[in-house]
Amino acid sequence: MENGGPIRWRFGGNDELTKASAITIRGVLNTLMENLKPEDSRPVIPLGHGDPSAFPCFRTTPLAVDAVCDAVRSAKYNGYGSTVGILPARSAIAEYLSKDLPYKLSPDDVYLTIGCTQALEVILQVLARPNANILLPRPGFPYYESRAGFCHLEVRHFGLIPERGWEVDLDAVEALADKNTAAMVVINPGNPCGNVFSYEHLKKVAETARKLGILVISDEVYDHLTFGSKPFVPMGIFGSIAPIITVGSISKRWIVPGWRLGWLITNDPNGILKNQGIVDSIVGFLNISSDPATFVQGAIPQILKNTTNEFFTKIVNTLKEAADLCYDRIKDIHCITCPSKPEGSMFVMVKLNLSLLEGIKDDVDFCCKLAEEESVIVLPGVAVGLKNWLRTYKRHLIRSSLWLSIGMPLLDNSKLLGWALENAALNVCYFAGQVFGTIEFGDSQIFGVGADFSVDKHQ
Amino acid sequence: MGEKSTLWNFEGDEHLNKASACTIRSFLTTVKENLNQNDDRPVIPLGHGDPSGFPSFRTAQVAEDAVVDAVRSAKFNSYSSSLGILDARRAIAEYLSDDHPYDISPKDVFVTVGARQAIDVLITVLARPGANILLPRPGYPLYEARAVFSHLEIRHFDLLPEKAWEVDLNGLEALADDKTVAMVLINPGNPCGNVYTHEHLQKIAETAKKLGFLIISDEAYGYLAFGSNPFVPMARFGSIVPVFTIGSLSKRWMVPGWRLGWILMSDPNGILQKHKITECVKSYIDISSDPSTITQGALPQILKRTTKSFHSKTLNLLREAADTCHAILKEIPCITYPSRPQGSMFLMVKLNLPLLKDINDDIEFCIKLAREESVIVLPGAAVGLKNWLRITFAVELSYLEDGLERIKAFTLRHTKTE
Repeated sequence: MENGGPIRWRFGGNDELTKASAITIRGVLNTLMENLKPEDSRPVIPLGHGDPSAFPCFRTTPLAVDAVCDAVRSAKYNGYGSTVGILPARSAIAEYLSKDLPYKLSPDDVYLTIGCTQALEVILQVLARPNANILLPRPGFPYYESRAGFCHLEVRHFGLIPERGWEVDLDAVEALADKNTAAMVVINPGNPCGNVFSYEHLKKVAETARKLGILVISDEVYDHLTFGSKPFVPMGIFGSIAPIITVGSISKRWIVPGWRLGWLITNDPNGILKNQGIVDSIVGFLNISSDPATFVQGAIPQILKNTTNEFFTKIVNTLKEAADLCYDRIKDIHCITCPSKPEGSMFVMVKLNLSLLEGIKDDVDFCCKLAEEESVIVLPGVAVGLKNWLRTYKRHLIRSSLWLSIGMPLLDNSKLLGWALENAALNVCYFAGQVFGTIEFGDSQIFGVGADFSVDKHQ
Repeated sequence: MGEKSTLWNFEGDEHLNKASACTIRSFLTTVKENLNQNDDRPVIPLGHGDPSGFPSFRTAQVAEDAVVDAVRSAKFNSYSSSLGILDARRAIAEYLSDDHPYDISPKDVFVTVGARQAIDVLITVLARPGANILLPRPGYPLYEARAVFSHLEIRHFDLLPEKAWEVDLNGLEALADDKTVAMVLINPGNPCGNVYTHEHLQKIAETAKKLGFLIISDEAYGYLAFGSNPFVPMARFGSIVPVFTIGSLSKRWMVPGWRLGWILMSDPNGILQKHKITECVKSYIDISSDPSTITQGALPQILKRTTKSFHSKTLNLLREAADTCHAILKEIPCITYPSRPQGSMFLMVKLNLPLLKDINDDIEFCIKLAREESVIVLPGAAVGLKNWLRITFAVELSYLEDGLERIKAFTLRHTKTE
């Protein structure tokens, strides 16, 4: 030691922080990745993570890219913006969302955030008064639990009912709520269940919230990504029954989760959120926090105005094909049941029948062994609150006959052959083709660029 | 605002509102409300710290090209690792290593949403029941806001105007106790425009080590040193005391809107690891939002390819602006000007109130200046020094000259005549 005696350092870590971040999807996926066999030369198939942007068939529209480039080149968006977001972007989003609502949102109802993630940070922090609690769906999205834990906001879970298309168990909601309950969360279209709620059901949710004196946080990050019989219904429609805070972003509909542009909307024609001091607190939080990149904000009006219906339809159709394929193949897998055909988002929940499997004790074990033996990653249901279920990501299940053109300089306009993957329990086949793009997980890349691989089919 | 209803079980958070009350923005809003709408002259903004709107201060072409390339490549649309894309961390490590006795590892670099988020992370991680943090006065009020929000007790040490705003080390020692977890240093200085010498920084490091706390070195204005003192990164003293350096693209590249910052951990003795600080920093970053992948993707190009001539041009602009300020301000009797700025974009001047009629403090001065001359400067109260003013000189030179002349005219008009 430099001066002879030991130094007493006065700073130290905070256990609560490490606890809060322990249960995240990233954390669980990292554990599964550790089981991958490096000597397996097949590409890893990632069906655990919710990010299709690396795949050419899910590339964002060039119009969005142009909008960002224009914003950067204009040099008008290099400065600080207002903490609630620049006005042109907020106006554009207000107009975009108002199309589906019976009333008009004002730009002041729109707060721009660093992705939907920050929108959640804001609302959870604002509601976290001493002794407050919040009602979360099970299964759900574990970021809510993590962040609520960090804010000391107590969480209580209500069930979603698998045999009723994963509808909210409203009786359970009423039983859980007490005078300290500030809000309930609904995720629609659903993550992880892939369900889409009906108009009638959402109305009942709003009425229940009103009866209990709570607000509804409607997580609509997968908005409009529906391909089944039920259309997407924004919860904001019921803003006059109970105040609705909608959180959303461009991440999923435009397939650009890395751009980090989201929003928090106050759907509250009766001005309750203002009276209760919620609006002031939202602004207060944003005043001491960072903001989304100004040039992405600057691109928003152009992105919202110019993106064509063709682009949206294409994405939704790709999802539909993948969902149909997934559901059909799963029907043939004897130890897995899917109680509810996915109608939206990018995920489906399937139940494991462990009694039919030998040497596999639970969902985590299934996923670890699947990673090890077949280089396929799916998310064990325990990560989203349902043990012995799996969340699988149906994005990549593209029919072999689906041709896509990509403009990557490496390959000179050549086309990508899709491939179909079946679950390891039956048979696995890959089609010859080329794989592009990389996905990072922590410090490693699990998908190579430009790799050729051959047909490999086994029973 | 209507009455709170007992029908609804949710309510806003008083504590949050308190923490966010005193920001630079809120002071500037008050001042700007007094602008005279009928004054045809352009408003001269010498109150905020954002020159990006001025043509002379446009960012490097290379930087714009890099961002456009990144978004067109389609390689940066996905979620990134929460600590940052590896290539971006590597690029920052290489950039900072230029000025460092040994190579910095990318593992010690975390990419953040601007320096703002870096401040959020570090204050949150260090806050523990009963702990306190030492902040400079004058300083940057976001530190105060975040400390209040995290229930971290604040103690202010003084910067000494007569010694080029050096830290009052005796005062610092008197303030610290066994619950002091860290001190914050801003170098080059905001709001004072100081650039500390190697000797002074070494003394600070040794003091921190003696008292057992770590140093947060806010180097958002890093390398923007145009005077006789070269910029010395605090990371050099990491073997004496653990240092967290905060940096960003915002100031050196004039792009605060791009929201790209970083935290550098300098701790070759592994003390932060041992005390679980490193783990907590990573955990908190894990549950927070991340910077845009587009800018992260562009970062290697930006850091490697921006030319020395771009950086020199910036320094020359700032130096010329600072000289212009000096020439005009020294002629104004009711303003005393203790120390010429050596860096950053700001300088502090003291008001000699007894010489002024009908102006009782800094806020009143700024309000009347806005109303009568359409010039915005920041009242020193916003940064912890009442009856001083913070003037931004990173402004188009012609505007700056105009603004300073108007300030001079204003003070003449308000000077007592006896």
